Amino acid sequence: MPPAPPRRIAAVDHDACDECGLCLPLCPPAAIRLTRRGLAVDAKTCTGCVKCIAPCPVGALAMVDA
Amino acid sequence: MLRADVLVVGAGPAGCVAAWEAAAAAPGLDVLLIERDDAVGAPVRCAEGVGSAGLREFLNPDGAPWYSRKITKVIFWAPDDSEVRVGGGDIGYILDRTRFEPALADEAKRVGAEIWTGTEAVGMERLNGGWKVRLHGPRGEQDVLAKLVIGADGVESMVGRWAGLDTRVAARDMESCAQYVISNIAVDPDAIYLHFADRWAPGGYAWVFPKGVGVANVGLGLVALKSDGRSACAYLDAYAARYFPDGEVLGRTVGGVIAGVTVKQAVADAVMLAGDAAHMINPLSGGGIVNAMKAGRLAGRHAAAAIAAGDTSARRLNRYRDDWMALLGEDHIKYYRIKEALGKLDDAFFNRLARTVNAIPVEQRTLGRIFAHALVNHPRLIPVAARLFL
Ligand SMILES: Cc1cc2nc3c(=O)[nH]c(=O)nc-3n(C[C@H](O)[C@H](O)[C@H](O)COP(=O)(O)OP(=O)(O)OC[C@H]3O[C@@H](n4cnc5c(N)ncnc54)[C@H](O)[C@@H]3O)c2cc1C
Ligand code: SF4
Ligand code: SF4
Repeated sequence: MPPAPPRRIAAVDHDACDECGLCLPLCPPAAIRLTRRGLAVDAKTCTGCVKCIAPCPVGALAMVDA
Repeated sequence: MLRADVLVVGAGPAGCVAAWEAAAAAPGLDVLLIERDDAVGAPVRCAEGVGSAGLREFLNPDGAPWYSRKITKVIFWAPDDSEVRVGGGDIGYILDRTRFEPALADEAKRVGAEIWTGTEAVGMERLNGGWKVRLHGPRGEQDVLAKLVIGADGVESMVGRWAGLDTRVAARDMESCAQYVISNIAVDPDAIYLHFADRWAPGGYAWVFPKGVGVANVGLGLVALKSDGRSACAYLDAYAARYFPDGEVLGRTVGGVIAGVTVKQAVADAVMLAGDAAHMINPLSGGGIVNAMKAGRLAGRHAAAAIAAGDTSARRLNRYRDDWMALLGEDHIKYYRIKEALGKLDDAFFNRLARTVNAIPVEQRTLGRIFAHALVNHPRLIPVAARLFL
């Protein structure tokens, strides 16, 4: 059997992210958290739906292998 | 454990006014307002434009230090760059939000609300009929037991989600925005400019809001689903290079505007959402400052009354949402339908519309007359107008 393709999840480029908060309400399972320490995507909660990727005004979000 | 009657999360326009109104409505009420950022009013993620009438319901701008510019004209740019001027006298103001929100916060303090900056809510759970909210801040980690929580925590709101409310936003309703403060540009410092063109801002518009002579907030909002794959920042770079090649960029900001309708559930037991947190933005203009203040005022009053009555159930708090829907929420549903209809019109249509309107002498150009004229000459606008007035 061929190996299952790796799960894809969203990852943030912390240098580019402006912490504007736009991506939080776009994320159906609330996998994105914004705190004083910055933005974080919870790898366990992210379903890889890509809804957050394109709307980021600075292009700080991308899909990566989990 | 620390206790509060009303905990307001987020010191934007919604939260500051909510704290102000709650404390003013019931002297002796313990109102705590917390803000994640180290200062109220900064950083600014906004073009800072407000209408005069709405602003004056809250603070008097005459001689105030918290605005940058008084606006007396609106200039529309069509996709082909033709210009439509609408005069109007006392139209509005470009605020200086780094000073405006502190002025609102001062009103809240004056009536007894307490404000903690640099303090964020990181989660909450039900306890004793209220909510135990976990705070992180200069005072360390601590819990506060609040009888009622007002989530005024903006586009990034989590309070609603923590309370089990559905505050998700569909991608088609999210305007991705980027803005520069640009100096050394030649624009009318008494006018705001709104530029509609799919090429520059698909699904939204570009704006120039003056902060002073030769300096302005220059930005745009777009719907990513309609873009060519570039980010809002990339679109803005192209826009600034085309229209303001000699301008000097003093600062950059980005943000999201929820151009939808008010969330179905704006309350839960002992929780109310106000402002961007409840999607209370005008979906046509993207304006949300005055809306947030109006929602904050309603939320603050209803919060004080609910606590006085000893009933903070969702059923009772729904009176707040009912009042909001009657005040502006129902209008937003109409505006949203117009937005959807306008989205089906192309650039050529708006170019023709601009030419028609420019045939009206400028002194006769009221928005009403422009609209009437547009209807006669552009029958395609009739279904749009019908939706506005029905
Ligand atoms: C680029 C851009 C341009 C805009 N231009 C205009 C304009 O010209 N005119 C207009 O009327 N509107 C404009 N808007 C919309 C306007 O900025 C918002 O509608 C308005 O700020 C909403 O006010 P609010 O109080 O609901 O939320 P906000 O002003 O966003 O305030 C929310 C506050 O809550 C804080 N917060 C969030 N989470 C927590 C937490 N967990 N704990 C503690 N604090 C928290 C945040 O730090 C923030 O200070 C613009 C928006 C953008 C992005
Ligand atoms: S939308 Fe982009 S810039 Fe804004 S918080 Fe999310 S990742 Fe950061
Ligand atoms: S890919 Fe989907 S689930 Fe994952 S963070 Fe983005 S919006 Fe959330």
